[in-house]
Amino acid sequence: MLTIVIRRMLLAIPTMIALTALLFFSLTALLGSPAAIMLGQDASTDAIAAINKRYGFDRPLYVQYLDWIASAVRGDFGRSYVTQQSVVSAVLPSIAVSLELAVLAMLMAAVTAVVTNTLPAGRRIVGPFVVGANLVAITVPNFMLGISLIFFFSVGLGWLPTTGWAPWSEGALVHLKHLILPVLTLSAYYFGVFSIIYRAEYRDVEKRLFIQAARAKGISRSRVAFRHALPNAILPVITVIGLSMGQLAGGAVVTETVFSMPGIGRLLVASIGSHDFPVMLAIAMIIVVGVVVMNLLADIAYTIVNPLIRIG
Amino acid sequence: MLIRPRRILGFALVACALLCALLANIIAPYDPLRSSIDLLSPSTASHLFGTDELGRDALSRVIFGARTSLLIGFGAALVAMVIGAPVGLVAGYAGGRLDVVAVMIIDLFVSLPGLVLALVITAMVGPSLLNLTLVLGLVMWPGVARLIRGQVLAIRENSFVEAARAAGGTPAWIIGQHIWPNTMRVTAAQFSVSVSLAIFTSSSLSFLGLGIPPPVPDWGGMVRSGYDFLAVNPLLSLGPGAAVTITVLGFYLIGSSVE
Repeated sequence: MLTIVIRRMLLAIPTMIALTALLFFSLTALLGSPAAIMLGQDASTDAIAAINKRYGFDRPLYVQYLDWIASAVRGDFGRSYVTQQSVVSAVLPSIAVSLELAVLAMLMAAVTAVVTNTLPAGRRIVGPFVVGANLVAITVPNFMLGISLIFFFSVGLGWLPTTGWAPWSEGALVHLKHLILPVLTLSAYYFGVFSIIYRAEYRDVEKRLFIQAARAKGISRSRVAFRHALPNAILPVITVIGLSMGQLAGGAVVTETVFSMPGIGRLLVASIGSHDFPVMLAIAMIIVVGVVVMNLLADIAYTIVNPLIRIG
Repeated sequence: MLIRPRRILGFALVACALLCALLANIIAPYDPLRSSIDLLSPSTASHLFGTDELGRDALSRVIFGARTSLLIGFGAALVAMVIGAPVGLVAGYAGGRLDVVAVMIIDLFVSLPGLVLALVITAMVGPSLLNLTLVLGLVMWPGVARLIRGQVLAIRENSFVEAARAAGGTPAWIIGQHIWPNTMRVTAAQFSVSVSLAIFTSSSLSFLGLGIPPPVPDWGGMVRSGYDFLAVNPLLSLGPGAAVTITVLGFYLIGSSVE
């Protein structure tokens, strides 16, 4: 199994190099002269030349890329064109916010989808509505769901804060109150996806002989469901978790914007608005690398959970 | 086959959006671009959805917004098809090293964050109708290619393909005459899902401020500007938001009703 894990990790490295290079070259090609952006439209050619020399924009593109990668690996993503602050110090605090949001949303989606579709009672109650609910959860855009939730729970009922963010230091309750609606918003899509896939798989597993044998032995319904059927039906969900990381990043960008959360997605949107190329590039790279790493982790988790691969 | 409830609902929802787009001039009570002094009027008999911050009738803007969304949706799905279908067909039929390379490229792109990529590229090239269509098509083609390749792999094993090969058919002729027609069902379903995904993504982009520039009525952009007045008149943002949801759901239902 270890060799499989190592092989997967080695495969992820060329993927990351290819992706970052692609992103760097296409963005630089599309952007045009960074000096013109920094200085505005009526900058003199001398000033542009000076900036080009200072930041090294006059060197060939591949040199700039290698240079960028070399510093990025050491944790130096350059300075923001707009604030002159180092990119790392701007981006780092926002990563924690986004990670917390994404992890909580994924967890909630997976747990609720699996539990409601496994619990015998849950299946009876939810059953008739679940197909429609799944389809709506998949197709409703994040901004629509988020704004609707704000309208009902914050504007209408006044139970929760409308937008914004409170760090842990302001107390766990305040922190969680700000998180509930964003997590709900982001998790809806994944709840729908996981639920559809898990239900289909569960229905297949349920018909298998070992489930009938377990029932025949007199094991209780819910124990059969959770101990025997669940572990055999959950594999596709793990695969899909890995595959949906890219989607998750997009959903997080929209969700953070709706709820004005100081996460990496909102920072990306802001940096696009102000043409802040180093920040934009750093965040795009972080998201892409994060997606590749998450895919890798899902692959590894799949190997560990699936006995066929684990033993073979 | 046509009378599955899911498909009927899908067609009904899509028909609503299409009617709005085609007959916007007739249905819409007002000119979507004309301002009035009636700023931020709440929902009344003459303005069902109220008016926006420039005094324009919100309902008329939602109706006209169908045009933008459907244009981008169909356009982007078409671009994704035009690139993805040939890649999938050739890779699946040829197999071998060509297929390995194609699958590597497809997997690379499929796992990428589509919305983030579209966001960054659109920011660079500028948000116009044509650019948005092309960018979304470019982001979506690998999904199409992957699906069609999978179909081709299954169809290739049929004896009629072997017979065609034995009869001396060239690969291009076999793909065109025997393989492509057999992928049509799934391709058509995927086209509908692609339209739904394109509308979903483009409305998210315009919600983030990278949509068709104003004053063209555009659902995502309307949600964004109406969001500021959520407490005053929720229909300003929830109205166009519901329109996006209905359209996306409609195309998704049609597409997912084919197994």
